[in-house]
Amino acid sequence: MAGIELRNINKIYGNSFHALHDLSFDIMDGEFMVFVGPSGCGKSTALRMIAGLETISSGELKIGDRVVNDVDPKDRDIAMVFQSYALYPHKTVRENIAFPLLMAGLPKAEIDSRVNEAARILELTTLLDRKPALLSGGQRQRVAMGRAIVRKPAAFLMDEPLSNLDAKLRVQMRAEIASLQRKLNVTTIYVTHDQVEAMTMGDRVAVMKGGVLQQVDTPQQLYARPTNIFVAAFIGSPSMNLYEAVLNGRTLTLGSNSFEIPDQVFEYRPSLNGASNRQVIVGIRPEHMNDAAIRPSSAEISAPVTLVEALGSESMVHLNIDASWVDAGDPDAVADISDEKAAVARFSPKSTVRAGDIARIAVDAEELHFFEPDTRASIW
Amino acid sequence: MHRVSRPNLSGVLINAAALVLVLSYALPYIYLLMTSIKPAADVQQIPPSFFPAVISFENFREVLQSSTLPKAFINSLTVAVLTTALSLMVAVPAAYVATQYRRRITTFFLLFALVTRMVPSVSLGVPLFQLLKSMGLLDTLPGLVLAHTSAAVPLALLLMSAFFEGVPKELEEAARMDGCTRFEAFRKIILPIMTGGIAVTALFTFITSWNEFLYALLLTSESTKTAPIVIAEYNSVYGLAWGAMTAAAVLYSLPVIIVTLALQKQIVGGLTFGAVKG
Repeated sequence: MAGIELRNINKIYGNSFHALHDLSFDIMDGEFMVFVGPSGCGKSTALRMIAGLETISSGELKIGDRVVNDVDPKDRDIAMVFQSYALYPHKTVRENIAFPLLMAGLPKAEIDSRVNEAARILELTTLLDRKPALLSGGQRQRVAMGRAIVRKPAAFLMDEPLSNLDAKLRVQMRAEIASLQRKLNVTTIYVTHDQVEAMTMGDRVAVMKGGVLQQVDTPQQLYARPTNIFVAAFIGSPSMNLYEAVLNGRTLTLGSNSFEIPDQVFEYRPSLNGASNRQVIVGIRPEHMNDAAIRPSSAEISAPVTLVEALGSESMVHLNIDASWVDAGDPDAVADISDEKAAVARFSPKSTVRAGDIARIAVDAEELHFFEPDTRASIW
Repeated sequence: MHRVSRPNLSGVLINAAALVLVLSYALPYIYLLMTSIKPAADVQQIPPSFFPAVISFENFREVLQSSTLPKAFINSLTVAVLTTALSLMVAVPAAYVATQYRRRITTFFLLFALVTRMVPSVSLGVPLFQLLKSMGLLDTLPGLVLAHTSAAVPLALLLMSAFFEGVPKELEEAARMDGCTRFEAFRKIILPIMTGGIAVTALFTFITSWNEFLYALLLTSESTKTAPIVIAEYNSVYGLAWGAMTAAAVLYSLPVIIVTLALQKQIVGGLTFGAVKG
């Protein structure tokens, strides 16, 4: 086991495309680190550079105490699980899992015992003599995991390993991978574009966009203290609602609505103090907007309801807030089904609002996020 | 409601069309076979008969007892086997690199291979003759193997490239992560899953060399003649030995038929390749 250090890592391709810009952070020994971001953000490139499958244009990569920039993948002591699983189709499950041990030149008895142990952990014992073509997607995924864990490597690299599974199996495997990682306590880097996977699995999450690291932090911190508008909108589902607003003293004007901001907001965002007609981008998470008829608040706004999605445990209420909507810059963001500029609020299922109503919405004003309109960075 | 079973008209038409197609391919060969087992005197009878009145193997006896044909067979076999081996040794790794490490230069390389297939053999025959002469390889088996390899490699390269296109890049990467060098990954993982493709390529290369006539005619004389040349020589200024010629032709076609039947499974597997993703 070992930690991994990235220092000013850059990747520039032959066609001068700059895929990664000065990537720097440490991954601690035994940590579960998730790289997350929209497609093309460089997360897989970063993983492949750590694996040794892509060259490093500049910067320094350390695994343990060793600089591995020019070390072959086979000599880096890391195992990788691929999105397509990359199982060897001509080998049985047993031979697939045993292959890295065979290459390492381990004695047969040791190989057998390790393969059997990995198969037991992953519940593959009865499938050991089958070829990959005869396995289901979930079983193939387990074999790919088996091939990685059997080696007891310094680190695991996983490149979207669950994206080929159906939604139900994905949730199950998500929990299994996370618990396996805790049990084995091996440093793990996990790449995904799914922020739910990132938040539920990672000890820490590195959010990337356009080849630039946006923030590395624990899931809780990413949610509570996003560094910029992109991270704020990327983390959380549905996304944070972002609008242009004006702050004057303690009064926030959001379109035709105005309400008072509580004192505690100014305590942890001191630079907002003494604002006079200050343009800001305000971020409101869906869970911080409630039906004022059920949970009244001192900060209320009203907006027409365009759509109500009743999910049983909660209702997603789409609102047409009359302020300027702000795009967070996520290229993968799915346009809202009713109107891409609609706000989404997470109401209690007891709410009786219907599409076409003008809803009164109670805003948890102490949970608001503020961003600079120019730099799009959080205002603290 | 009980459905009255009727002959399926479209099925009948398809089968009839297939039968016509098969016969159009098979008839000349069947005629060759029939002629080869006719007694020498019956071969040139007027009007000709399709089936032999008497079955006789005297044509086969004649060609097998001749001094030239058995030796020509051995020459043909030697040249075809060596050409196949050499072509695969060159084309398999080259096609792998050209498809898996795609660059502008590798695309050009494959395109160039395709272009060389377009040049008529006869245009290449004369320079090949000069080249082999200057190397002292004229009328030698190694010389003919080199000539055949030059013709077979582009075909093998194109075939193998098509097969390698279906191999996911992750397989080599997974093998490298599992402790292989690039070459070990190629040898231990990629090659074993390509046996179907390699079998098909080997067969086509073998047939290319086995059937080749022009280079063999230009580049060999007495000692290294291959079977197609000897068979053609039954039609000479001294007369046309139909019986012997057809018997030799039947014998000459047998190895290809046997090899094709033996490799049938791999050929079908190779031609329907693309299901590597375990």
